[in-house]
Amino acid sequence: METTEFINNFASQFDDTDASEFTLETRFRELDEWSSLNALAILNMIGKKYSVFLKPDEMKPVQTVRELYDLVQSKIK
Amino acid sequence: MKITNYGVTLSRLTEDKIELVRNWRNDPKIAQYMEFEEYITPEMQLTWFNKINNDKNYYFIIEYNKHEVGLINVKDIDSEIYQGEAGIFIYDDDCLNSTVSFQATLCLYDFCFETLKLKQLTAHILNDNKRAIKFNKMIGFKILQNQELIKNQSYILTFKDYIKNRNEISPIISQ
Repeated sequence: METTEFINNFASQFDDTDASEFTLETRFRELDEWSSLNALAILNMIGKKYSVFLKPDEMKPVQTVRELYDLVQSKIK
Repeated sequence: MKITNYGVTLSRLTEDKIELVRNWRNDPKIAQYMEFEEYITPEMQLTWFNKINNDKNYYFIIEYNKHEVGLINVKDIDSEIYQGEAGIFIYDDDCLNSTVSFQATLCLYDFCFETLKLKQLTAHILNDNKRAIKFNKMIGFKILQNQELIKNQSYILTFKDYIKNRNEISPIISQ
């Protein structure tokens, strides 16, 4: 799983936040646009793109894009 | 009539619950997203209930963890073209930021497509309600053509698109 592709896929789940604002260190829960709907869209994207099916509760402690990337990566291995 | 699936129970709206729904519906946090924003009186609510309490309209109270949290419906069912119009609102703020809206929607849409045998659902969404637009697109709704300049935009969901999106979403929300 390539990090740039993951960030781009992550960013595409947001409507109002410019994709260029996203890095591995982005604390996405602090974005104005953040909502539970984004969380579900992200979980849906991860399922479709990476065949990793996370539950909403598994995502709750995750704060940054890197932490989510690492979580997904750990499920792929 | 009750339908339980995906961790929620949908209870068909009965006359003893229409005041609860009226109070929810008159709250500005709900009314602002409705095409009809005027204050609804008890008399108007009863008239409305008598109009929709039939087999062309199914309105359900959404129950989650034994709490009544919102309303979901399919209305104006056309049995000749197997089509109805869907709608939902979640009143409980805690449930707004959860998967309950998806759980209730999948529960109702399974009923629409598998029990009522509808072939497609329509929805009308105000063009500034970004959350509802995003939500409906995740379920598989697609905007109809030439809607860009219309405030109350029309969307359609086919059975095929619903099943595809349901199969992707249900593993996430299953309890």
